[in-house]
Amino acid sequence: MGDEIIIETDKLTKNYGPHVALDAISISIKSGATGLLGPNGAGKSTLIKTLLGLIQITSGDGKVLGYDVRTQGDLIRQRIGYMPEYDCLTPGLEAIHQVRYCGELIGMNPEVAMQRAHEVLEYVGLRDQRYREISTFSTGMMQATKLACGIVHDPELVICDEPTNGLDQSARKFMLDTLFQVVKQGGRSILMSSHLMDDVERICDRILMIHEGRVIAQGRIDDLKAIDREIEISVWGGASRMEQVLSDSGLKPRRSGRVMRVVRVDDSTYDLILECAVKAEVQVRKMEDYEPSLEDLFIVIMERLGYGVKTSADLLGQTPKGRDIAPANRSLTGGEA
Amino acid sequence: MDDDMSSIDDLFDEFDSEVQRKKESSGSGTPADAAAPPPPPAPEAEPASETAPDAPATETEYMGQAGLQVTGQARLEAAFGSGEGDESASAQVAQVASSATGGTIFHQIYRPWRGELNPRWMRNWAILRHHIYGLFSKGHRPYPLMTKLVIFGVFISSLADLGFMALGSITGAEEIERMFGISRGNLYGHVLAFWFRNACSYPIVTALIIGGIISEDRQHGTSALYFSRPINRRDYAMMKFLSVAIILGVIIIFSLCMYYLGGILVNGEGWSYLIDTSGMFLAALAAAFLLVFTYTSIGLALSSVSQGKFFPAVAFLGIILGTKLVAFLISTLFDRSAIYLISPYDNLAHVGQWMIGVNYTYDHPAVWSLVMLLVMNAISLYVLSARVSSLEVTRE
Repeated sequence: MGDEIIIETDKLTKNYGPHVALDAISISIKSGATGLLGPNGAGKSTLIKTLLGLIQITSGDGKVLGYDVRTQGDLIRQRIGYMPEYDCLTPGLEAIHQVRYCGELIGMNPEVAMQRAHEVLEYVGLRDQRYREISTFSTGMMQATKLACGIVHDPELVICDEPTNGLDQSARKFMLDTLFQVVKQGGRSILMSSHLMDDVERICDRILMIHEGRVIAQGRIDDLKAIDREIEISVWGGASRMEQVLSDSGLKPRRSGRVMRVVRVDDSTYDLILECAVKAEVQVRKMEDYEPSLEDLFIVIMERLGYGVKTSADLLGQTPKGRDIAPANRSLTGGEA
Repeated sequence: MDDDMSSIDDLFDEFDSEVQRKKESSGSGTPADAAAPPPPPAPEAEPASETAPDAPATETEYMGQAGLQVTGQARLEAAFGSGEGDESASAQVAQVASSATGGTIFHQIYRPWRGELNPRWMRNWAILRHHIYGLFSKGHRPYPLMTKLVIFGVFISSLADLGFMALGSITGAEEIERMFGISRGNLYGHVLAFWFRNACSYPIVTALIIGGIISEDRQHGTSALYFSRPINRRDYAMMKFLSVAIILGVIIIFSLCMYYLGGILVNGEGWSYLIDTSGMFLAALAAAFLLVFTYTSIGLALSSVSQGKFFPAVAFLGIILGTKLVAFLISTLFDRSAIYLISPYDNLAHVGQWMIGVNYTYDHPAVWSLVMLLVMNAISLYVLSARVSSLEVTRE
């Protein structure tokens, strides 16, 4: 696991009349857990439907698990598990029969589907609730049932659309742990669409970020974070002098009290900071590489695209309005996808 | 904001300079040294032990006796009795308890599955079974109890003519036999004659079945479960159509077959009777198929345009009974039967009269009714197809 490419597209384009939903998207996703990020209207749903082989693409090519998205949609959907964001369960059915029916819709024998339904419901923590009607379930139990429906046939790839939507803290943790185990213990791949950066960062080691139908970032999260790596220093005895000297040396410090962050250009940046400290006659009490979160990365990318956002929720929760201060056609690629 | 930040930074700088000055004047280390924490406390004394072998015997006292070492033996014996004889005793203990991990009640283990998946027809069979078996058992499509009772009642009532025929045969009452025996008029009457069972019961049963058959998939989002699996929309619509048609078929077509077969068996008829009557039976059978097909297509079209089960049911009854009523009122005023072309029921009845060969009750040609039926079915199937295509996987 880790080297096999499970999703690959080449200039994939989908138009709805004059509206371009996917604009020549070229992605290459390897097995493992990948987060799918983007604001509302970015094209996430269209991409998911395309990968499921449900809609005809306008141009370009795409393959999922080696099958062509144009002509082999049925084969793709047999090997993929899909967990929708919204309610998709029959309220009057018991959980065990809902999951069994999902297995039968894939093509499992009724007896095998029933046995497998028992296994996956136990796996998602609903062992004692198997024979309860879904209409009496809490949101967390419904999400778990949807996941059970998605993995009943042990798919190679599970596409999860907002798997933690509406869950409380403990249910969210359990859902994320379960998804994590599907990847680590089960050796399966996950493509997870989410608005919550923490969730994506916890589960996924790669992300695919799309915006206005285009890919703006894809690759390993660690590689993407390294694009704008910073060094954090804490100084004593003349922070203002230190800031001035750093600026004079060509570094661009960001200061908050005695703590400053300097963009790391290369290894010589550390020496340069110490030289500046000597020149400014200040003590450097602490110097370390700053570990940015996915949230930081998202904000940096959006700033580059010209969106003034403070948190990901500003952008992911609503359709963004761009500030006309920077061209929105840049993209980032962090190492291998 | 910038001014505030710079003033705070200046305060920091001043504080640093002040500290530096104090340090130079005192020459006694950093303020941190001045405010050095107190020396680390001495290591905590070892907690008192019941056995203190190192303590001098004179400093120990237990239960008023000085010099006796405290071993806890006395308390142990006071609690559990003397240890004498324990060497020869034996006890049964749980052998598995030692291997269990304390407190672990749930192991989350992902179990892989490497079975074979069945082909398309098996998936379609699963949809069909889900909708039909739901009438009889749990674990399939949940039908309300009232729907099940009404379907059962109408099915029993559709076998009423068979029952009366058997009664006439058993009692030898010729009047009853003549009234309910196999005839052209009775075969037409079983399927299409305008009386309560055909004009009301069949539409009501259809309305109850088609009410949520597609609309609930839209309402509950269950369409996502179908279309994110290798089920295409044509198969989905066909299996839904077939499910409704089979349930209606059991009530209408199966009861017709039972009636005809019963007529032969009850009266002990031979091959000549079979040859004489099979033509009109097949015509009645074709009319029944047309009835089932038309009701199903109109009903499913209505179900596909809605998000609940109330509207399709009421709309279906409105179309079947409402158009009949409107056509009746207008035809009464203007004495023209062509207005009955707006009514699916009357078109079916007219075509049925033509197929079975009973007297017409309409003035206009039967071909007009047949064409109208084809148009109605074509429109219904088009609406069904278009609306099923619009069912979403990701979001409604």
